[in-house]
Amino acid sequence: MNKEDIRVLILRAPGTNCDLEAVRSFRELGPQVDLIHTQKMFKDKNLEDYDVLLFPGGFSYGDYVRSGAIWAKECEYRIGKELSEFVDEGKPLIGICNGFQQLVEMGFLPGWKGKSLYPEAALGNSTHGYQNRWIRMRYEGKGNCDMMGGLEEGFILQCPVAHGEGRFILPPDQREELLQRLYDLDMMVWRYVREDGSYAENDWPENPNGAYHDVAGICNPEGNVLGLMPHPERAFYGYLMPEWTKQSTPPEHGDGYPFFKSIVDYVEKNF
Amino acid sequence: MKFKAFVYVTLKSGYSDPEGDTTADALKGLGYSVNKVRASKAYEVYFEGKDKEQAKALIEEMCRRLLTNPTKDDYRFELSEQ
Amino acid sequence: MTRIQRSDFSFEHHTVDLLNAGDEELKEIAETLGLGLSLEELRYIRDHYLIQERKATDIELQTFDQTMSEHCSHKTFAGIIKTPEGTVNGLLKTYLMSLIDELEPEWCFSVFKDNAGIVDFTEDVGIAIKVETHNHPSAIEPFGGAATGLGGVIRDIMGVWANPIANTDVLCFGPLDYDYEKLPEGVKHPRYLFSGVVDGIGSYGNSIGIPTVNGATVFDEDYIGNVVVYAGCIGTIPKDQYIRNIKAGDLMVLAGGKTGLDGIHGVTFASAELTEKSEEVSRPAVQIANPIEEEKIKRAIKQVSDLKLGSGITDIGGGGLSCGVCETAETYGLGVEAYLDRIPLKAEDMAPWEIWISESQERMLLAVPPENLSKVLKIFEDEQVETTVLGEYNESGIATLYFHGEIIGKLVLQDLFNPPKLNRETNWSPPKLEEPVIPELEDLGEALLQLLSAYNIASKEKVVRRYDQEVKGQTVIKPLQGWKAGPSDASVLKPLEGEWKGISVASGINPRYGKIDPYWMAASVIDEAVRNSVCVGGRRWALLDNFTWGNPEYEDRLGGLVYACRGCYDTAKVYGTPFVSGKDSLYNESPMGPVAPTLLITSLGIVPDIRKAISMELKETGNALYVIGVTKPELGGSEYYKLHDELGASVPKLDAERNITAYRRVLDAMDWGLVRACHDCSEGGLAVAVAEMAFTGDLGVDLDIGKVPVSENMREDYVLFSESNGRLIIEVPAELTSNFEAVMSDTPMACIGAVKKDRAVTMTKDGEPVMELDLDTLISAWKKPLEERR
Repeated sequence: MNKEDIRVLILRAPGTNCDLEAVRSFRELGPQVDLIHTQKMFKDKNLEDYDVLLFPGGFSYGDYVRSGAIWAKECEYRIGKELSEFVDEGKPLIGICNGFQQLVEMGFLPGWKGKSLYPEAALGNSTHGYQNRWIRMRYEGKGNCDMMGGLEEGFILQCPVAHGEGRFILPPDQREELLQRLYDLDMMVWRYVREDGSYAENDWPENPNGAYHDVAGICNPEGNVLGLMPHPERAFYGYLMPEWTKQSTPPEHGDGYPFFKSIVDYVEKNF
Repeated sequence: MKFKAFVYVTLKSGYSDPEGDTTADALKGLGYSVNKVRASKAYEVYFEGKDKEQAKALIEEMCRRLLTNPTKDDYRFELSEQ
Repeated sequence: MTRIQRSDFSFEHHTVDLLNAGDEELKEIAETLGLGLSLEELRYIRDHYLIQERKATDIELQTFDQTMSEHCSHKTFAGIIKTPEGTVNGLLKTYLMSLIDELEPEWCFSVFKDNAGIVDFTEDVGIAIKVETHNHPSAIEPFGGAATGLGGVIRDIMGVWANPIANTDVLCFGPLDYDYEKLPEGVKHPRYLFSGVVDGIGSYGNSIGIPTVNGATVFDEDYIGNVVVYAGCIGTIPKDQYIRNIKAGDLMVLAGGKTGLDGIHGVTFASAELTEKSEEVSRPAVQIANPIEEEKIKRAIKQVSDLKLGSGITDIGGGGLSCGVCETAETYGLGVEAYLDRIPLKAEDMAPWEIWISESQERMLLAVPPENLSKVLKIFEDEQVETTVLGEYNESGIATLYFHGEIIGKLVLQDLFNPPKLNRETNWSPPKLEEPVIPELEDLGEALLQLLSAYNIASKEKVVRRYDQEVKGQTVIKPLQGWKAGPSDASVLKPLEGEWKGISVASGINPRYGKIDPYWMAASVIDEAVRNSVCVGGRRWALLDNFTWGNPEYEDRLGGLVYACRGCYDTAKVYGTPFVSGKDSLYNESPMGPVAPTLLITSLGIVPDIRKAISMELKETGNALYVIGVTKPELGGSEYYKLHDELGASVPKLDAERNITAYRRVLDAMDWGLVRACHDCSEGGLAVAVAEMAFTGDLGVDLDIGKVPVSENMREDYVLFSESNGRLIIEVPAELTSNFEAVMSDTPMACIGAVKKDRAVTMTKDGEPVMELDLDTLISAWKKPLEERR
């Protein structure tokens, strides 16, 4: 399909706050982007009109109970069927920060055997509390996460994290086994790294939240649901990069650009 | 019948608990010899049920569905008639 | 007491007979009703009812109490003050607002008459800005107090129909290592206040999705009993959406959270001194914050503003509905009917007067023409925000309050807002202090490391990281610069899509100068706020003033305030920088004495093209390093003296004319592309500024301090650590130094060194070594102090 025909849906709830960065990132690449309150979506239930769905960052419903939990259960209850259909059709579903927390709470991620009834992973409170800082993450995918296909393996993306609960956790009793499965099924997509590109190995602040195995983002076994804690939409333009002033004028785009471009290119080619 | 459930959500053992650790440090800073703090959450849920049996099933469901993430949380509750 | 009688209504309501009440009786009435009114004000109210020939009601007296409080009416700043230099008829009018008339800046769109000041940005869009204080509530309950302070100032921005895009916060605490044993009863430890306040601001700002882009954290013993919390907000407003046109027949819509017992008498509390009892007495005055509620309101108001459906708007803050309703009506020469029983409540059995003055958070009041009402209500409903049509504006000039069909109060609005002017007198002048004799140190490197570790200079990363600094993706120069997280002088934002123009936000604050001479403190902090903005390429500055002071009924506090206001006027006039908004907080007294006289100046500048914004870190080996301005032996109030436990007397003064000329030249040089980095010399002086530039850029520097322009022959340590105003350190590309010098030719400056690859700061004087420190040592000294504790 043509880029201009791609329809991206960004949902918001009370407390969502990174919606506009996500909207403008997609919009600049060509697609039509709708930013819609979930209450409206609960009535219209027209998810099938869209090709890409993104749950943005923020503090949905104040992150009470657990980050993302209330919105997740509400979505599951009100549009659970439509969401599952959307995913089953292979369309890209992306969650950033609070959106990642939500995808985990809804059971789409990791989604070992499809969407689970209860969460199979968690994003626990971070070792250093709420922090906004820039990190580096390395693209670890080997091809399963199709929407990231435009990135070279080993691509390092610099962008900020801004969260209090983002420590990726697997159940401790099966941690190693499940980690192996993440690799076996090519679900490991982003890991925190140091300046030289080596893995953070749980060193703070390179791994900003204490995430197990430096996990910053994963996809489902089918590869079309992607969740990550860091914010590529906040690194979309060159003037948002932390040291752009080292050059006399900022580059047009920042590290977040290839992330969104890859998603749009993928949909353009495959749908 | 009206019921009240007092629900405690605690972190499973084996997880680090930054909130608890920070609190422990703070208490130590105030001069208390504290060995360990684990933070937990508590909810009071007021609801209706047919009988105690059903009420118990309902609150169990609420715990599993929203109040906990079974990957990291344990829960227990005290159920009483109002 | 017999003068207060319960009415026959089915709800709680009283009449109060003021006829011929004597002073003692008036005082007793005030105490029974919990009013903070002075005797003079009570007499004024008594006479008002004498003319009206009727009894007062409880809700009416509560309304007088709220609107006449220092917090709402700023009586000290409006009052008449006799001084040896002549009588001042209103500090605000004489020294702050008058600059608008004298400077005639055509870019000031709406100043000093609304919830926030608005200045032009582009042809069609304005920038709204406001900075508030929330000191007393934060002293009692730091998390909630600071959070609601930020929530309140964000509503001030929404209260001019603007869309909030950035927050600022400036916080003052006692030293974090203060001895617990020395704390008086009822005073909380600075460490507790620090973590509570920082978490409160972070929690609110982060949850509502507005970045905190600028701030400062100041530590001083004089804040132990009086924590100071300034919170600011900036918004964008398309100028044609700034609608102020309330007419009779327009409806009052209350939108937002429910009304509860929180914050009752918060205003009178904010205007009173803190005592050891404050904690128990004041608990109900603390408001509970709900940022998500405000996030929803923000989305709804943006839509109402975009569609121009309202005729007026204000936030419900200090004084609750009593202030919001009466002020909007009075401003347009209208009256109003309000039905208080329609308001959704959090608590049962609230008396109507409590509903009327409750300061429950996250509420806005909109005036809506009847034909737009259904559209407005639908917008709020879609955002899941509760609304109440509270009543209607009319032409009566009177606020008539109803509760369950009964009239419970009638207020003549003109009388409500024309209280007697306060008359005060002060003969105070600044204290004569001694200049200390500081022993000359052998190792100036050691002194530099100690300064970098001083709380007021050390990295505030621990604080800044707890705030989202870049949500919305508009923060071009961030408060922490680069991966090394150096201290930016100002933040630069890019508020509009498709527009390269940006704004700079910076601040200036220095209470230690204020202890020596409030006049020069004011001059210095204005210079600092402007200077910081220059560093990133900002210009055309609008200023905001925020005074935090002690009880103005004491002659010395009042006298200091007059000096500071004069300093503001004299300096801002030469700089051509009008004040566009301000807010004062007086009565900051505790069992440990008054707060340090604290003036915060916030500068809002324009950056013509954000792609040319300048950051503070060194960029390239071989480039030349210049110092602009003259270094003088004026270390009074400096951090260097503080290291030696001295305050001193020689507070930095300034030659305003010379400084502003230099700043204009620096901006010219920036526009010519001659500047690669720029950083201001403030606390800790030149040596600290150079060290910060070096470790942030991860590049070394060779410096000859013998070349620094000085006013007279000075000791080396004074050259390095003097805090003289008007000075900047600038990195210039090696091949462009002659161009730079040509642009700067009519202003004092000198090339003092060069950037080098070798990661060390090396200083010499006339060939003799002064100090050499490697970058890792410098940055770790700077980062350590606040990293160590939460």
